[in-house]
Amino acid sequence: MGFLDSIFGGARKLKAPAPDRLFAMTTAHVALETELGLRHREVAGIVFQPLSTADFSGIVRESEELLRGAAEDTGSSVESADDAHGYRWIKVRDPDFEDLVVSLNLISSQLQAGGYGDRLLACVFAFTEEAGGRPVYFIYNFKRGSFYPFVPGGGPQRRDTEAELRLKAQVGAELPIEPELERWFPLWDVPL
Amino acid sequence: MALTMLLLGAVYVGFVVLLLAAGVGATVMLLIVGGFAFAQLFLSDKIALSAMGAREVTPEEAPGLHAMIERLCIQADLPKPKIAVADIQVPNAFALGRSQKKATICATTGIMNTLSPAELEGVMAHELSHVKNRDVLIMTIASFFASVAAMITQFGFIFGGGMGGDDDEGGAGFLAVLLVSFTVYIISFFLMLALSRYREFSADRGAALVTGRPSALSSALIKISSQMEKVPQQDLRAAGEMNAFFIVPTSVKGAIQSVFSTHPPMDKRIERLGELERQLQAGASA
Repeated sequence: MGFLDSIFGGARKLKAPAPDRLFAMTTAHVALETELGLRHREVAGIVFQPLSTADFSGIVRESEELLRGAAEDTGSSVESADDAHGYRWIKVRDPDFEDLVVSLNLISSQLQAGGYGDRLLACVFAFTEEAGGRPVYFIYNFKRGSFYPFVPGGGPQRRDTEAELRLKAQVGAELPIEPELERWFPLWDVPL
Repeated sequence: MALTMLLLGAVYVGFVVLLLAAGVGATVMLLIVGGFAFAQLFLSDKIALSAMGAREVTPEEAPGLHAMIERLCIQADLPKPKIAVADIQVPNAFALGRSQKKATICATTGIMNTLSPAELEGVMAHELSHVKNRDVLIMTIASFFASVAAMITQFGFIFGGGMGGDDDEGGAGFLAVLLVSFTVYIISFFLMLALSRYREFSADRGAALVTGRPSALSSALIKISSQMEKVPQQDLRAAGEMNAFFIVPTSVKGAIQSVFSTHPPMDKRIERLGELERQLQAGASA
């Protein structure tokens, strides 16, 4: 946000999504599997804040139909649900990791084409640690165009920051990782 | 509240005039005024939080509030502020801190019990918009400039009078300085209130953008203001010291006082939010 915006009381629009770097995950996931011992759980989700307008619901419905149509060809399954905070999750299950990324990208580009790119919150990719069986998430923040790891653990509303920083150090070259640690927002109770 | 602020400010201006009359130099005066602004900028958040009896809460203590604000921060592209809760029944919320990275958002237990999650989200987004728009910093700078403006007029008078009048500073000259200083101060005071009201509208608009639910904020405002009038006077007085970044000022009074108000009237805010809702419903192109 510019200086003038702040003098005049804020931008007129929300920040639009950063240039799309979602596809960095398709190449990075190989390194995650082979070098870091993370196995993807064949599921990923996109989360956004639904507007209660006819136009928006129409675009979401169309995108979901499009996705379901594509899913029939690739053999993936699609679910959508609202969480306790009123955000919509569209979940895709597919054994092929690349198909997951393509599916999530389809939804995000549909919303952006409809002029609702600013409502997109995040994409979440679910992994499991091969050693301990603990869930590990990689979250893609649309506003920032960057990824960060999220490892819940050690009780409710607690995260294993040490493990997250380790992952950052190991995968940093493959993925555009969010440089500011205070932007590593958790997503508790990820429905994945 | 506004009257208290006005009178306090007037005492302050009078004090400055007295110091000047006693022969304190311009540099020293500027240092004193700057010092006040500096203290306001760097200490006011801590003072305000302890005055409200607010306490910072961890994600474990207030998981819902934290999760709500985290998501709003992603949406608004802000770093996460500190989150505090004040254990009082007056339903209110406010933002503090001079920069986006040093911000604190505080909610009262009253507001958390009164509002639905969507309404609370609207209020939190309003406070985050204050942070995003750097309102604390801007209002502090504005009040600093108001003091400087009053000082400059004083200097103009003293030097103008001093040079023309053979060092003969009579009582009439002193009174004139005092009068003009107060006039400048009062005008800048009302300009500041107008600026504050404008920034409230901006924060409402920002909140509507972030949540995409202008009507939820409207309904929160209605609930808060109707609750507010039911709350006993003692509680209002206890909370009355720090209106500036409250979501609704603690004293909601008649239209005559609207010029004295730091916040725009409720119905105007709801009207504008309604306008945003109409634009939203009309589609993304609006």
